[in-house]
Amino acid sequence: MSFTRSAAIARTTVRLVIKDPSVTIIMIVMPLVFIAFLKPSLEAQLEQQGYHGASGAQLGVPGLAVFFAFLSIQTVCMLFFREHFWGTWQRVRAAGATGLELVVGKAGPLVAVILMQMAVVFLASAWLFDYRVNGSLLALALLLLGIALCVVALGVLVVALFRTLDQAMVLGNMGGMVMAGFGGALAPTSTLPGWAQAFAHVTPTYWGIEGLRSVGLDGASVVDVAPALGVMALFTAMCVAVATLRFRPTDTKVGST
Amino acid sequence: MLLIEDVHKSFGAHAVLRGVDLTVPAGRIVGLVGSNGAGKTTLISIATGLITASRGRALVGEGDAADVDVAADRRLASGLIGLAPQDLGIYPMLSVEQNLVTFAELAGLRRKAARAQVERVVEALDLVPQLRQRADTLSGGQARRLHTGMALMHRPAVLFLDEPTVGADVAARHAILAVVREIASQGTAVVYTTHYLTELEDLGAHVAILHEGRIATQGTVADLVHANASPSIGIVTSGERPELPGWIATPLVAESPPAGALRWEASASALTADTAAVLADALSRLGTGTTLEGVDVAPASLESAFLAITGHHLAADATTPEEAKDVVHA
Repeated sequence: MSFTRSAAIARTTVRLVIKDPSVTIIMIVMPLVFIAFLKPSLEAQLEQQGYHGASGAQLGVPGLAVFFAFLSIQTVCMLFFREHFWGTWQRVRAAGATGLELVVGKAGPLVAVILMQMAVVFLASAWLFDYRVNGSLLALALLLLGIALCVVALGVLVVALFRTLDQAMVLGNMGGMVMAGFGGALAPTSTLPGWAQAFAHVTPTYWGIEGLRSVGLDGASVVDVAPALGVMALFTAMCVAVATLRFRPTDTKVGST
Repeated sequence: MLLIEDVHKSFGAHAVLRGVDLTVPAGRIVGLVGSNGAGKTTLISIATGLITASRGRALVGEGDAADVDVAADRRLASGLIGLAPQDLGIYPMLSVEQNLVTFAELAGLRRKAARAQVERVVEALDLVPQLRQRADTLSGGQARRLHTGMALMHRPAVLFLDEPTVGADVAARHAILAVVREIASQGTAVVYTTHYLTELEDLGAHVAILHEGRIATQGTVADLVHANASPSIGIVTSGERPELPGWIATPLVAESPPAGALRWEASASALTADTAAVLADALSRLGTGTTLEGVDVAPASLESAFLAITGHHLAADATTPEEAKDVVHA
């Protein structure tokens, strides 16, 4: 693998994200809008759970940040598929880029973008909604990194599996929403049916959201969130493994069937 | 230099290439021509490492060497190869400069060298005023020039241009052809595909005709024309039908042709080296009841050579059986 080529692809990916930041901005603004609406009811839930006087943001921010991070799978899909529409995928390959260099060059900046997106949501929530981190900041940062890696790995897997953008967008968005929903982004998992609670435990979103909430509310440390980090690392590794088996740089990708 | 040896390629049961051999020495422009579906783009895709051959190999190298197997050592080969594919391949959201810099960086050029090469390429392709302009705001011709320029950023030893002037206006076409000449004069081996055969005459290119999966013939434009093409002589008559042995008549298709108008074309057997004598003989045979409506003489060209080599002829080009029947042999 050539670092130079991956870096060149990564720089181009960054340029493309900067030229069209609309989706990233929406994914930052929307969770903040939702928190503004949900904060009072979330505070009531926290009171019931024994967190007296805690801001509703402590409960809402992790779930909504993760929910919108998983919706960013569409950004991952779009950046790969666009290269095919623009005819640049073939050109970059002719310039010697291997499949691995292409994936690293595109996925690397996207991890940073999604990480930044969630970080901005947390920072803005601290400023606007009195969100506080009672636990380890390093644990928080590692959890956010783990979630960003899960999202990008799942996005690359979707790109590897589907030939058309239509398929990838529908399946990517649905998959992201389902995982976020089961993981407790929209409602605490304790309020879900038993089968849904059982399923939640195999989703990375559950572990990510629970980890973030425990850092925010319970003062969790890196050691405390290690199981969550482990599950997310495992999920990422599984996505990468399947994507590696299915990803063919020679495949033709199109907009619709 | 590019060396293609016995390249075969099949897609399922369909054999597209059936043993292509082609050599493009440094500094030469080879026009690769063939009908739609002849396999030009497939051959280029193999030679650039985008797809693998079913059999055979493509080698590239600096100068007179062809020592890098494209399929076996893609990394090394990619540094020697430049490709402007048939379909436009540019980043529409990025500026002209960013598009060019991207491909300079992919080739491993450092920032200063990349900037210098950007300057050279935009100047050569007359894109200096558009340097900071987004690619999606360029005209069709400007976009084509940018598309070509992206293949030149690392000064490749072997350059593949797959129909680079499709959709280009006259100015863009001239700019692209001028750059191709310049690049070749600096020692780059150029493979140039086009359906506009006059471009190959303008470029002074060698021509390789890909037909039925093989290179049917190759050589200079002059050689191919001399060996395969004849001039074309045509006259249009109306009124009484003349007797013109060796000439082929077709009913004139026009909005309002004169009554009984026919277009006559001298058949290959009637043509001699002295086209003026052939024409004079035909005119002398026109009776008083026949009106001469027009005369056209076209010299032998690469296009007529191509049509002769690939077996196309008037009857075969007729789109319906009725049209084919209308070809009247005098």
